[in-house]
Amino acid sequence: MVISWLRRLPPTLIIGMMILAFYLTVAITARYWAPYTHNKIGVGIPFSKPSNDHYFGTDQLGRDVFSRVVLGADDVLILAISSTLVATVIGGLVGLLSGLVGGWFDQLLMRAFDALIGIPFLVLALLIIAAAGSELSGDTRLLIMVVAVVYAPRTARIARAVAIDLVTRDFVTVARARGESVFSIVWRELTPNAIGALLVEFGVRAGYAPIFIGSLSFLGFGVRPPTPEWGLMIAENRAAIFVVPMVVFAPAGALAGLVIGLNLFTDGLARWIGRSQGAASG
Amino acid sequence: MIIRLILSRMVLAVLTLLAVSVFIFWTAEILPGDIAARVLGREATEESKQAFRDRLRLDRPLHERYWLWLKGAVQGDFGVSLVDQSQERQVADSIKPRLKNTAILGVYAFALYVPVTIFLASISALYRDRLPDGVISLVNLVGLAMPEFVIGTVLIYGFAVKWSLLPVLSQIQRAETLKEILNSTTLPAVTLTIVMSVYSIRLLRDSLIEVLESEYIRMAILKGLPRYRVILFHALPNAAAPALNTMALNLAYLIGGVVVVEQVFAFQGLGSLLVQSVFVRDAPTIEAVALLVSTVYIAANLFADVMSIVLNPRLRTG
Amino acid sequence: MNPLLEVENLTVDFWNQNRWVNVVSHVSFKVMPGEAMGLVGESGCGKTTTAYTLLGYRRPNSRIDKNAEVCFDGQNILKLPGSALRRIRGKRIALVPQNPTTTLSPGMRVGRQINEVLAAHGVSGGERQERVLDLLAHVRLPDPLKTAQKYPHQLSGGQQQRVIIAMALACRPDLLVLDEPTTGLDVTTQAQILELLMHLRQEQGMAMVYVTHDLSVVATICDRVGVMYAGELVEEAPTGELFRNPRHPYTRGLIASVPSVRVPRQRRRILLRGYLQRDQLPPGCRFAPRCLFAHESCFSDKQNLVTAAENHQVACWRWSEVPQLATEIVEELPQPEIVSAPKGAPLLQVDDLNCAYEYHRASLFANPVAKLVVRDVSFDIRPSETFALVGESGSGKSTIARTIAGLLRPPSGKVTFDDQAIAGKVGARTQDLRRDIQLVLQNPDASLNPRQPVLQIIGRPLEIFFHLRGKELRNRVEQLLDDVRLDKTYVRRYPGELSGGERQRVAIARALAANPKLMLCDEILSALDVSVQASILELLRALQAERQIAYLFISHDLAVVRSLAHRVGVLYLGELCEYGQVEEVYSPPFHPYTHMLLSAVPEVNTESRLVPTVRSDAAEGTGSRKTACPFANRCPWKVGKICEDVPPPLQQVSETHALHCHIPLEELRQRETWSKSTLQTAKS
Repeated sequence: MVISWLRRLPPTLIIGMMILAFYLTVAITARYWAPYTHNKIGVGIPFSKPSNDHYFGTDQLGRDVFSRVVLGADDVLILAISSTLVATVIGGLVGLLSGLVGGWFDQLLMRAFDALIGIPFLVLALLIIAAAGSELSGDTRLLIMVVAVVYAPRTARIARAVAIDLVTRDFVTVARARGESVFSIVWRELTPNAIGALLVEFGVRAGYAPIFIGSLSFLGFGVRPPTPEWGLMIAENRAAIFVVPMVVFAPAGALAGLVIGLNLFTDGLARWIGRSQGAASG
Repeated sequence: MIIRLILSRMVLAVLTLLAVSVFIFWTAEILPGDIAARVLGREATEESKQAFRDRLRLDRPLHERYWLWLKGAVQGDFGVSLVDQSQERQVADSIKPRLKNTAILGVYAFALYVPVTIFLASISALYRDRLPDGVISLVNLVGLAMPEFVIGTVLIYGFAVKWSLLPVLSQIQRAETLKEILNSTTLPAVTLTIVMSVYSIRLLRDSLIEVLESEYIRMAILKGLPRYRVILFHALPNAAAPALNTMALNLAYLIGGVVVVEQVFAFQGLGSLLVQSVFVRDAPTIEAVALLVSTVYIAANLFADVMSIVLNPRLRTG
Repeated sequence: MNPLLEVENLTVDFWNQNRWVNVVSHVSFKVMPGEAMGLVGESGCGKTTTAYTLLGYRRPNSRIDKNAEVCFDGQNILKLPGSALRRIRGKRIALVPQNPTTTLSPGMRVGRQINEVLAAHGVSGGERQERVLDLLAHVRLPDPLKTAQKYPHQLSGGQQQRVIIAMALACRPDLLVLDEPTTGLDVTTQAQILELLMHLRQEQGMAMVYVTHDLSVVATICDRVGVMYAGELVEEAPTGELFRNPRHPYTRGLIASVPSVRVPRQRRRILLRGYLQRDQLPPGCRFAPRCLFAHESCFSDKQNLVTAAENHQVACWRWSEVPQLATEIVEELPQPEIVSAPKGAPLLQVDDLNCAYEYHRASLFANPVAKLVVRDVSFDIRPSETFALVGESGSGKSTIARTIAGLLRPPSGKVTFDDQAIAGKVGARTQDLRRDIQLVLQNPDASLNPRQPVLQIIGRPLEIFFHLRGKELRNRVEQLLDDVRLDKTYVRRYPGELSGGERQRVAIARALAANPKLMLCDEILSALDVSVQASILELLRALQAERQIAYLFISHDLAVVRSLAHRVGVLYLGELCEYGQVEEVYSPPFHPYTHMLLSAVPEVNTESRLVPTVRSDAAEGTGSRKTACPFANRCPWKVGKICEDVPPPLQQVSETHALHCHIPLEELRQRETWSKSTLQTAKS
């Protein structure tokens, strides 16, 4: 039963789910089996090559790179998912409402979003970080907010387009003719139909979030050392790429794997939703 | 009809730009704390602080300062940098050489990006679900998963360290001959190209496939037209509008990417200037760079918008 | 004479969600030079796939069986290399596809699109331009020089289809493949295109393969017909023979399902039951699950085409018994009640109604426009009566339904329901009123929320209007499903798991749930296959008899309207030009527009070929210029300037029948040819 159901799912969805499950497992359990803690200095000679003691070698402070990579998984996942979630919920709700209500309310919101989108996103992120001041620099909450502010208008646009498409559908017309309230229409007719598109949107954004946050860390505005964030690790160890490439490639590979997993998962999800919707419409 | 449409798009773009400028000014000016104290240091006398505030008009209300700033910005005057008060460095002066460098880099990257993207997306669409498409999709997915700083680092590792073909760090500020300029910009430009292509090949491939699956393409084939005619005269013109939009959108990645890539290669451009200014919290410079960059981005989107209006016979002929 | 085209054993499969699904199975037929062969069948029967295969076209993700052959003039098209195929396509075999709007390249002038066909097949440059203009004139497009310079979107649907026909004829092909070329066009436009095709065929003598779902079109234009079901050819015969002596149970059912515009109310028909379920095809006869005469052996034994009469082949072993069996069944059918319009006080009264859509600004500088789409329309509907509004696209008929439903606020006019004037917008109406008037829309795919199960879809009105909950609600929903002849187990299903006809039944059940007095039915049959249409029509009649519901039935299909309505109003460009009891409207005197519509309807039952009376090219004009009589610009019997300047008077034909026209009734009676052609048919 379960297996036949799994077989009907797009293969990308299954592979994506497997990769994500792997990352989740590592994120949850790493603290119990990682050979060293993330900030223990001098467990080996700085920049030593991968060996049986240090699978991925050691960094410039002689920290075990393998431990730092696996221990970083939870931070990266939590940051990426929570920030995208905040953006999707806020952007999604505002967008749906904007598309439904229409009129000047919609116009005003859309112009505001246009302005936010009109600033290239990394520049916008830096603006917000600058405005927040040095006290907050490196704070997790600030990072979540930065990602949310950058993502939310883009998500809102998508949600609005979905809402505008949905309100012209005949089943909404019938509901209006029945005298249903706006709230009831949003809740009963629109939300179940919009959730798929928003889910895919969430996946796409979540897939880019680790890179985004990594870039900020690389520039020096992300999480604070010695947090084992992969982008930060790459920035710290970059000079060592000539000596021990592994200390850079390990966090880069971890980051890439996560992004690939998220992308495959989203791609599969979109196909799956498209398929069940395709079946629904004929 | 069409003129109206284009005009309304232009007005919209200007409005958006105005809103952007308000946002930029507002975020940069709410930096917490007494700017005077921060810039001049704790030992500064009350008079010198007051003089500083007067010069920067810090006592005036925010909207008035915004208006003065905007008036200056339109004329290319972005005020005085807060850093290094002794020299009274004009923001515009520090921006100019870097703007040139970044422009060279951007144009170079874009010139690489457009043909590469169109070529790979077309191959992918034409050989849909077959080997070339599969290979391109796979490489694409891997590229998608690599941030600019990783790609840049890998390129340095390969081309600069292993094979010693190009310099590790870009010395654009000292480059004079064309060869030197190419030498110092190729690696950053290639990095940017990869990042941008990765995001647009998939989009462009999908919109090409949509066109190729359309009934008018099927009709063109069943009319007995040669393959090149079908693609050149029926498929490409109709895929141009979505392609243009994709590329304009990618300018956002280009500009975002520039910030990171310049940092990777120590490239003396606008991006690295922005990062430095954020570090020292030099509001006038931040404002200027952000505004410039946003203007370019909005202008590019406007251009794509107008082009797709002009290209659409439905809108062109009313 | 050798056949021009020989299709042998054509089998096509599509790749769908990880498995191969058979779409066309062992289809074989021949087409002689100059012959017109029709392929008919309902949606999903594989007719379009067959048609495209004739041009050597294979959809991506599909496969054609190795043993299949499509021999054109001695060459197997399926085995030809690309270059040889290109030389045949467009030159010797040309295509006219279904949807002209999406078939023409949107960014290229239409003249050039014809020109490039000529160029591809070696016509020299100097000659080409002349040929293009020639072709455009040939398909009777006005002002070829100007038309050639236009982009597709600047032409109407009918004009676009003419351009495509011109393109297909460019190289004087031997075979023309037409895939539903008139579906989606208005009935008068369809008549003109059909007439053009018949004329061109006579003149150029090319063979045709005409694919359609519309039996009456096939009867009009084809010499021979093949009937397809679930990918198989089940019967093949000359047109006259097929309609006189249909042998296959499916063909019989299909023909019986088509209502005739000439017969007052259809009586005693055997309808096809169920619908095509591709995932439940038996190994034997694919039609067996729906067949009224099926034996057990039918489900296991494959049926091959056998000769029933000269040139008549049928894939059913009981073909000789079928006519007798069918007659027996018809004898047992109950006689429908005599139709008469109900008397009494009107339930709904519409007086001088004007309707408008308010458009949003097209751009920042444009002013919002309110465009009047319905002008001064008055009619009434009595309890348990069916009032039909007929008209072509753009006549404003749907707008009237939406206005009555309270979705649009009318700029002026009065709507009275149960002796009470009712508010414009639904929000201002009472709960009772909202319950009493229910709306059913054209496309059940769109009108049912794909994310709600049937229980919730039908249950919602019960919740709001009758405050039913839980077990009570469920029982009532099951009862409603039973009322629309659906199984109780459907409560848990989602719309995606239902067929088109079943979805429309659910939509009707949802309207019934409110226990309405008036149901507004907006084109509710037009998205459905004929066999499904017929069964829904039966359902509507039965429901009316059981529950005394009044219907406002909106349709473009004159035959359906005649078989269902008590009274009819004919709408043209938002104005009512004729109304009356159904039989009055369908008999002379006719309003010129009514006459034009009736004459344009192709028919199954005519032995002689239809000769459309709608010849004038002006008939396709959109009538954008406002004239006193809205029909003045298209009217074939236009009197003169008076039609443009003076509003036509209302002429009372009988107490219940009236029309707006300057022409005296007696003259209208003399001019009409439609009912006279009926007499001729009856005689022959």
